[in-house]
Amino acid sequence: MAIEITRPGKTSLIVATPVMPAAGSLGFADEYRNLIDYANLGAVVTNPATIEPWQPAAGARIVPLDAGLLVHTGLPNPGLRALLRQYRRAWRKLPIPVVLHLLGTTPDQAKRAVELLDTVDEVAAVELGLADEIDVAEATALVRAAATIEKPLLVRLPFYECAELALPVADAGADALVMTAAPRGTARDAQGGRLVSGRIYGPLIKPLVLRILGRLRRELPAELPIIGCGGIHSPTDARDYIEAGAAAVQVDTATWAQPKMLERIARDLGGWIATRHADALLDEWHPDMRRGDSQQRRGKG
Amino acid sequence: MPRTVAPFPKPTIMKGGMRETQAIVERIKRVNRGYQRLELAVDRSLSSLLPGQALLVRRISKDYEAENWHPYLRELWFPVDILASNMLVLEQPAREQFLPGQLLSILGPIGKPLRFRQKLRNLLLIAYETPPTPLLLMLPPLLAQGTSITLVAMGAARDYDCAHLPEEVEIIQANDDHSWQDMVMTVGWADQAFVLVGAGLELTRFAEVMRLIRARRQDVPANTIFGFFQRQLPCGVGACQACMLPIRGAAKLQCLDGPAFDLTQLRLA
Repeated sequence: MAIEITRPGKTSLIVATPVMPAAGSLGFADEYRNLIDYANLGAVVTNPATIEPWQPAAGARIVPLDAGLLVHTGLPNPGLRALLRQYRRAWRKLPIPVVLHLLGTTPDQAKRAVELLDTVDEVAAVELGLADEIDVAEATALVRAAATIEKPLLVRLPFYECAELALPVADAGADALVMTAAPRGTARDAQGGRLVSGRIYGPLIKPLVLRILGRLRRELPAELPIIGCGGIHSPTDARDYIEAGAAAVQVDTATWAQPKMLERIARDLGGWIATRHADALLDEWHPDMRRGDSQQRRGKG
Repeated sequence: MPRTVAPFPKPTIMKGGMRETQAIVERIKRVNRGYQRLELAVDRSLSSLLPGQALLVRRISKDYEAENWHPYLRELWFPVDILASNMLVLEQPAREQFLPGQLLSILGPIGKPLRFRQKLRNLLLIAYETPPTPLLLMLPPLLAQGTSITLVAMGAARDYDCAHLPEEVEIIQANDDHSWQDMVMTVGWADQAFVLVGAGLELTRFAEVMRLIRARRQDVPANTIFGFFQRQLPCGVGACQACMLPIRGAAKLQCLDGPAFDLTQLRLA
């Protein structure tokens, strides 16, 4: 099964199953190798990388919430060049495409980063993460700079600005949109007693993103794939995203609580997408099946 | 945003391999007024756990599909004893309700085993504002090899009733100002020490304990006093990087390189 999850073209990103981890959930390479069979996933999206090294945040990084959590790590990473030195070999060994998540800071940095990444065979595509509260002009400038890359460019939109940015970013050269980054929130850290701001994860995010995604799917060009991300904790959640118009999904922190869930979702969604076009049951589907074959067979039976 | 640039940790290769397994609560025993011990039947791969290594635990129902997402994070549990090839003992607050037959999903082992000196004669354990539970797995093997062990309870750790611990362990309740009788001797004679603090404000608490120790012991060589972390770990495999710590020379991850770090190397608050 080949699923194209970026705009059609000579460098589009094709995956075997439309399920991948969200940036920041599975590490930079194969940290989950003892718990997850990467071959069952569509692609791996790395933790966020920046041109310069970033250090971890001070203070509380995790605040448990009811059925969720707030995360504020500061996105530590050793900088793009060091990252490539450390992980290229591991990426080469992965059986699936590697999508490097690049944090957009300035157009100049984005351009420098994609020039470097164009020379790295192990990276199949780049996902550009836009900062929260970015305005349209800044976002389009960043995307234009990053779109000079020859590889497919996915752009992850911030939660609150998603609707406003989607069309301008698509016009600026995004090959696919990831909707959305986890929303930012603030919660009290029970241990330290202070209010902490960070990204919010949990099942409750799904209905919020699903609504934005469904609306934008109708407004955006049909050839522009949308990758749904947020609150996916079960195969049913992932199916909901596909039904709302997503071409693929990204699973975030559910993997931390249940590492095997990512694979389960990938198996379920891969099978469902493969078979639904032929209107077939999972166990009767075969690659050459056409729509109607299944009903004919059942009719004969 | 500008950040201070420091060397970044090299990726750590996990040997032995973490696994996701299931365990079942076999027996529950109350050991003191505040704590109960759970005997868990676990996968045999976990019977080789060593002091310092932990498990990330999630309570699950028999119907794994009916998932309850509260609490969302797995709990970090440190075993206190290993009874047989597939039986681990864990200590939990008595207010937590468990019943025999309760199923648990376990990720582990997490972290690196503690490294003890080859000829360890006097070991000092300090629990500050937290029960000493994560330190207990080391007691039986070290006592068996003749190590003399002193456990000092400071702050809220004094609320923990130590009556069920091996009688060979010397228990000291620190005063309100964190001093105790014969402190100079206890600190000075220790060949090695592990300081356990509660999650949150660890660097501040380790700094306080280090000040106490340095005031009573001129020479604190490297690899003598270790800080023991028990932060909540979202992933346990080094993916989320929420447990990254500021160590001199490089940042390290509690889940892969910890839980114990040389306090002379840690950038304390």
